[in-house]
Amino acid sequence: MKAKKGKISVMMGNVVAANVARLCRPEVVACYPITPQSEVAETMSGFVADGSLDAEIVEVEGENSAMNVCLAASVAGARTFTATSSYGLVYMYDAIMQASGYRAPVVMINVNRETPGIHAVSSGQQDMIATRDAGWVQIIVENNQEIADQLIMCYRLAEDYDIQLPVMLNYDGYYLSYLNEEVEIPEQSDVDAFLAPLKNQPQRPRIIPGAATGCGTHGMEMGYVEARYKHWAAMDRAKKKVDEIDQQFADYFGRSYGGQIEEYRMNDAEIAILASGSAAGTAKTVVDTKREEGIKVGLVKQRLFRPFPEERLIAALKGKKAVGVIDRSVGFGWKYGPMCTELKAIAPSIGNVPILSYIDGLANLDITIPHIGRVVDEVNAAAKGNAYQAVTWIPME
Amino acid sequence: MVEATKKRNKIFDYFTTEDQFSGGVAWCAGCPLELIARTVPKVMGNKVVFVGTPSCSAPVLHGQNIGAWHKCSYLACVMTGVASSATGLSRYFHRTNQEATVVAFTGDGCATDIGFQTLSGAAERNERFIYLAYDNEGYMNTGNQRSSSTQKGAATTTTPVGKVGKGKPTAQKNMTMIMLMHKPRYMATANPAYMEDFAKKLQKAKELCKEGFVYLHVFSPCPVGWRIDSNSVIEVCRTATRTNWFPLWEAENGKPRLTVEVAAPKPITEFTKLMRKFSHLKEDGLAELQREIDERYALLKTLVDAAAKQT
Repeated sequence: MKAKKGKISVMMGNVVAANVARLCRPEVVACYPITPQSEVAETMSGFVADGSLDAEIVEVEGENSAMNVCLAASVAGARTFTATSSYGLVYMYDAIMQASGYRAPVVMINVNRETPGIHAVSSGQQDMIATRDAGWVQIIVENNQEIADQLIMCYRLAEDYDIQLPVMLNYDGYYLSYLNEEVEIPEQSDVDAFLAPLKNQPQRPRIIPGAATGCGTHGMEMGYVEARYKHWAAMDRAKKKVDEIDQQFADYFGRSYGGQIEEYRMNDAEIAILASGSAAGTAKTVVDTKREEGIKVGLVKQRLFRPFPEERLIAALKGKKAVGVIDRSVGFGWKYGPMCTELKAIAPSIGNVPILSYIDGLANLDITIPHIGRVVDEVNAAAKGNAYQAVTWIPME
Repeated sequence: MVEATKKRNKIFDYFTTEDQFSGGVAWCAGCPLELIARTVPKVMGNKVVFVGTPSCSAPVLHGQNIGAWHKCSYLACVMTGVASSATGLSRYFHRTNQEATVVAFTGDGCATDIGFQTLSGAAERNERFIYLAYDNEGYMNTGNQRSSSTQKGAATTTTPVGKVGKGKPTAQKNMTMIMLMHKPRYMATANPAYMEDFAKKLQKAKELCKEGFVYLHVFSPCPVGWRIDSNSVIEVCRTATRTNWFPLWEAENGKPRLTVEVAAPKPITEFTKLMRKFSHLKEDGLAELQREIDERYALLKTLVDAAAKQT
């Protein structure tokens, strides 16, 4: 069976997110507005007001409450939706950890923005990076169509009986949140059909009034260890599940994203660039241009940030002569960008090759075609044995 | 054969279900929290869903690993988010027509300090659940530190008495007045020395939380932190009301009325002498405390009288 052709519209990233969230039929929604996410909150409230979404909408007084509302409703059995960004994500921090510790399958949009420290009302992935060890699945997307499609897949992943983890879907603030782009919005019946397998699995544990069910016991010694071990194991299982869901999505809707990572012209590539988010789109253009110049370069777009797609990255990068990693955030305490640091952790399995770290795109500074072109040239030179700089802050050059 | 001559306590008439808690729960000897917690489901029934936080109540409400101390369903949450977690639960239970009485059950530290914002938010949204704050006037679970509910002059580990320190320098946050100004569907103060009054309020709370937000502020002196003999805790509770330290009243839709009238309130020294947290206070300190209590009661009485005139 195949999905019908969806309606093609030109839509802002935030409005795409809200429209598709509605199609996933969340039962409890709690969003607190924050730039550059506010249109998600507004659009969801609008849907409830005009009767096109039947959900409990909670106009919370802060993000911390948004996450608490969602995680509590979720452990009672509800499908939930929330969206935030930057300061908002930080303000939910205790509840974010609670949600993952309780294995509450909350789905959250995080519109990437720089974090507190310096008031940067601008794009950057520092918010997502700051929560990477919170035990959530984290996915990064490249364009508005991917926001739509991945959001549907996020529910399949979060609520899968074998997974039961909260999922954070990240997209670049400003670059995608306010970008009007052509997008195909699936039909309601097709989204229902794609999410239907969730109804045919065993019911997950939940809080039932009068049934002596609870959530949030004190984890004492081995009780704590066992819960953590199961959480850790579920994170590991999520990797393959992402690939499986992507395959099913491709079979039904006809669009595939490659699962955990997307490999672009990697088959015969000698060197590789690793990027994520909207910058990956620019990087594809650069790869095409550099190929015409005779440089055998490919791109790995990291979609799954947590759990870390170790096996897929090794398979994609093994044998390449050098890799350049573009980070849109800072890894305080490490020289390299956060994604580069993580890639270096699996370097022995890739091969003893130069891995060059690039910091770019902070605070709405564009990751331009010339910037990525320069990365390709330097990685290419490093592959040939030339000396290279371990870390380059491109805007500071 | 010995005949039972003692009159049966009326409180038993209010109980609808058996005790949901096991015997030998891990609360301190003499702590009225145990009485308060056991009474809630006894009156409201076993469809009570407790929402608790790290707190004195946590060890018993949330159990350890797979061990539980009671038969009610519960959710343990972070201190910042008890009112919002209760919101999430009650919204979903209502939506799915599951009969439940959601009770956020937490201390004054959560209500008046770290969880105050989310409590205020839930009250403003008129969420349909009960927020029960048991007031032991400080962070007793972590070893007697001050909260905004600690009264002026009280000695705590973070407002100690020393060469310079004179106990807490500022007055207690008037939490019940703040909540009254939210105009909740129902709110009440309660005191375990007045069990029938407490039970009536629990009954009302259960009914009225179907219509809107309910706030209960329950007096719960801490024998350890306040340094009270564990056998005199109920006496402390009773004296708190008789001295106007903790007046008993309720309000529907923001209209307060006293439920226990104290004809001739005793001086607060009758109350403060029962514990050692005020034992360092001299005459002037006690007089200041008396003024604080008098002012507070006068404000309440003004509002009570005004509400009586309106109806």
